Amino acid sequence: MLVLAFDTATDVATSALLRDGGVLGERISVPRTLLEDLDALLRDVDAEPADVDALVVGTGPGSFTSTRIGLAVTRGLGLALDIPAAGVSTLDALAAARADVFPVIDARRREVFVLGPRAVEPDALELAPGAFCVGSGAVRYRPTLERMGAHVPPDDDELHVPHARFHASLARAFGPADAIQPIYVRAPDAKVSRSPA
Amino acid sequence: MILGIETSCDETAAAVITDDGHVLASVVSSQADLHSRYGGVVPEIASRRHLDLVAPVVREALDSAGASLDGVSKVAVTQGPGLVGALLVGVSAAKAIAWARQLPLVPVDHLEGHVASLYLEPDPLEPPFVCLLVSGGHTLLLAVRERGSSERLGTTLDDAAGEAFDKGARLLGLRYPGGAEIDRIAQDGDPSAFPFPVARVPGLDFSFSGLKTALLYAVRDLGVEETERRRADLAASYQAAIVRALARRIDEAASATGLDGVAVVGGVAANSNLRAALPDVRFAPLDLCTDNAAMIASAARYVEALPYPGYLGLDAYPSFS
Ligand SMILES: [Zn+2]
Repeated sequence: MLVLAFDTATDVATSALLRDGGVLGERISVPRTLLEDLDALLRDVDAEPADVDALVVGTGPGSFTSTRIGLAVTRGLGLALDIPAAGVSTLDALAAARADVFPVIDARRREVFVLGPRAVEPDALELAPGAFCVGSGAVRYRPTLERMGAHVPPDDDELHVPHARFHASLARAFGPADAIQPIYVRAPDAKVSRSPA
Repeated sequence: MILGIETSCDETAAAVITDDGHVLASVVSSQADLHSRYGGVVPEIASRRHLDLVAPVVREALDSAGASLDGVSKVAVTQGPGLVGALLVGVSAAKAIAWARQLPLVPVDHLEGHVASLYLEPDPLEPPFVCLLVSGGHTLLLAVRERGSSERLGTTLDDAAGEAFDKGARLLGLRYPGGAEIDRIAQDGDPSAFPFPVARVPGLDFSFSGLKTALLYAVRDLGVEETERRRADLAASYQAAIVRALARRIDEAASATGLDGVAVVGGVAANSNLRAALPDVRFAPLDLCTDNAAMIASAARYVEALPYPGYLGLDAYPSFS
């Protein structure tokens, strides 16, 4: 079974191609070029989109717009290939990289997303002494977290970036791609825009 | 067949047309109700809704066309201008569909899409002509000398005509979107009851902010009760001023360019007063005035398609390119 997994919820796009659980390839780039990565992953093993049996997508939380890129790709692929998909939280995927890590995703507006999922101010986090914090929020709020007794690996550590192979390993409930919802956590800003209709 | 997808603002739309411009299906899921209590389009709410609707709308378009992706030869999608978060839902889904089937993708400019609503069967318009594009976001005068391209003659210096309708409607206590409401209420009003001004700006540009201010003062002077009582007259006079401004510029653009044909497209092209005021002008079909994907698929006939894999990194552009 050929599985394509990806996550665009944060500033990076992670993607992986797996056959029966074994990782055939993995790529990291940016959300807007996700499909270039998916194309390269398949080409590397002489496969085509039509060979893919299932999709796994990261559902956030993260940036609203970039999370939706992965979800919209999933819906397009689900429709065009008629294959099932599963959603996996980006926080869960970050946490799956190592035992006992505490995932912290930058939520902008001086907040971070943590398991729950919920958005909190970094100062308000309740961390166990020596908590091992990873993710874009851990990098951004390193001084705050370290002051609270947490350990944050170096900025360039792989643990700060979600890896799609973990999404694939966590995926359980496969179903229609349309049914997978992003984890927004926050309600939309009700700011009216000029209508460009 | 061409599959078109449009998500630039608050309509999630998909359409299937034949290569020679016959519309087989055009599905538009409007979010107007969702945004009405805010008095305008809320970008994040629009984007969330697009994600919910994009696949069902594409499926419905294919189903009602009696088609499947097997019969689709290219996918067309609005690349911009529009709300970037909204555009990215359509662009991402369209790229994924095209990639899955290794089909070419055609990135379409939304404004060229509106013009291309005139090229669909059964009564396609042949350039050259002067085209007025009037909507909630745009007021543009274009010289169209061949299909697929246009030259900009003038634009609004402040509010778009559709925006002027929306703002006027709000001052009169009407629901969003305001254009249709003003149009409806003005039927019972006297268009000469209030002498609202039409701004005089140089060249072929437009300005509607002064008109909006004039309505604001009129409403203030009349007071709540009198405004309520004379709402039809206010709406009719306000609408007449907008229509007068548009009609005058159309005439001037036609003389300036020497082009005989004149056409009006975009959401405001559905306004019945505007249609009545310009009997010799060609209007986009009523169902293709507001945003739709048939016009996007239509425009794709005159834009070079990007073959696989040239479009995989394609991005949306939020404002004018
Ligand atoms: Zn439009």
